[in-house]
Amino acid sequence: MRFVRVGLLVLSGLGLLRVSLFTDAYLRYVKEGMRPLLIASGVLVLALGVAEVVSWRREHAEEHAEGHGHDHSGVPRVAWLLLLPALSLLFYAPPALGSYTASRGAPKAVAVVEEDGFEPLPATSPLPITLTDFTQRVQQDTGRAIEGRTVRMTGFVTPVGEGDGWYLTRLMLSCCAADAQSVKVRVYGVAAPPADSWVTVTGVWHEGGTLGTSSAAVALDARGVERVERPVNGYTDALPLPS
Amino acid sequence: MRAIEDTGIREREADPADEEPARGLPRYWLWLLVGAAVLPGTVLVLVGRALDEPAVQAWRTVCLAVVVQAMPFLLLGTALSGAINAFVPAHVFNRLLPKRPALAVPVAGAAGVVLPGCECASVPVANSLIGRGVTPAAAFAFLLSAPAVNPIVLTATAIAFPGSPEMVLARLLASLVTAAVMGWLWLWLGRAEWLKPAVRHAGHRPGHSRWTEFRQGFQHDFLHAGGFLVVGAMAAATFNVAVPRSVVDAFADSPWLSVLLLAVLAIVLAVCSEADAFVAASLSGFSPVARLTFMVVGPMVDLKLFALQAGTFGRAFAVRFSTATAVVAVVCSVLVGGVLL
Repeated sequence: MRFVRVGLLVLSGLGLLRVSLFTDAYLRYVKEGMRPLLIASGVLVLALGVAEVVSWRREHAEEHAEGHGHDHSGVPRVAWLLLLPALSLLFYAPPALGSYTASRGAPKAVAVVEEDGFEPLPATSPLPITLTDFTQRVQQDTGRAIEGRTVRMTGFVTPVGEGDGWYLTRLMLSCCAADAQSVKVRVYGVAAPPADSWVTVTGVWHEGGTLGTSSAAVALDARGVERVERPVNGYTDALPLPS
Repeated sequence: MRAIEDTGIREREADPADEEPARGLPRYWLWLLVGAAVLPGTVLVLVGRALDEPAVQAWRTVCLAVVVQAMPFLLLGTALSGAINAFVPAHVFNRLLPKRPALAVPVAGAAGVVLPGCECASVPVANSLIGRGVTPAAAFAFLLSAPAVNPIVLTATAIAFPGSPEMVLARLLASLVTAAVMGWLWLWLGRAEWLKPAVRHAGHRPGHSRWTEFRQGFQHDFLHAGGFLVVGAMAAATFNVAVPRSVVDAFADSPWLSVLLLAVLAIVLAVCSEADAFVAASLSGFSPVARLTFMVVGPMVDLKLFALQAGTFGRAFAVRFSTATAVVAVVCSVLVGGVLL
């Protein structure tokens, strides 16, 4: 039974350390700020396992010297379940959430910008912009600064259930992957790359509804699409990397 | 030569089968053999393929995310509970809390402000408080209020609802009132036999090293609570993947239904109390009262918390306590929300 306890603790500790200290895999599940806490947790759980081994050996030696048994409490049966996340983290860590989640969840409500809160857009063309910014510009900027501008955005591909085009998507977390919310921009004019692949799209606003009001379509007429590497932290709405 | 050997073997094989059929090979041994050879492989392939289905992958990711997110706070809670057992003498709590249980309840509820963490930390701590002689009613008030009213959670709420400080105040008040009402309810109706007898936490025994006691208590509590955390995370992930949000949003229009729906959503989604304010803020189609209900119910009753409570205090307790808490929390949030929001 002690063997089981040591095994559970050591495997859990190693699993936590693997995803937080040795790789970036923790970013598939939680936010960046959790890293120190996760490393500390991994070390602590591992230390509990090691301490158990040490006291085991010491008691073993005492047992031989004194010749009396010790009180060995068992392992709670439910603790065996810890094996699942521990082994999963160690050997078979599931990928970050992607198009499956994005296609089912309701889109994230984009924050409302104050009436004169929109800065003039920089003159660079194509203009790098985040999906959230683009949504705000299209639906809220009464100055219509986005009109006619060529923009660049990076996200992953989510197929559209019915109708033309596909969604350029980002998922964002408040705390962990259980509360992921999506922001989507519909892309027209280019055949859809495979679902879940990361792409940078260049294009202009796809006309639909009245620009600057909530009736405006959050959509893009794409001029070009290029495949890009998945960013290390995929759960943020970041600007496209300069190419 | 070979023929003789063959017959010999055949005779030896035939003999036991004729005389004592019970000890021979089962009738369909060939099928069993084929089954034993093929089945595990098929199951492995099927399971392997199923694990790569998008829905299953999303389920595994969400399940692991809940476990990974909760792990540091669970460790904090179990370490604290181990430390309370090993290092804090029982009379400290008796001196800190008022003698009369009815007064101890609100004091313990307000003391929840000091435990920074989410609900996973509070269950083992409440258990060790009971083990140290704190009246269960006060420990339960602490259990309910601690994850909802600590500074981290209140700050997160203020950030999630910019420009509406009344939401923070409403959350604080509704949570404290719910915790106190539940404590008093336990004093009035609660029975000790619903609680699983906790013999483990005997506190410090003379002649034993406090550090060893701390380590053993910490380790046992962590393994125990960790197992139940996995149960709860699985349940939460199942609902998370099985119920799309668009279905939920369809109920946003009716004020009463939306309150009940968000209460149920808080229970099944099992979002960490430090994050639920952001989730509540994102449920923009719902009334403020419904969103307040989400934030008051969530830290007090949810699937992973239920699993933790059932493991720590026993199922008989967890069923009654969670049901009552859910009802009281909804009523309190509607009342407080109706006045403040």
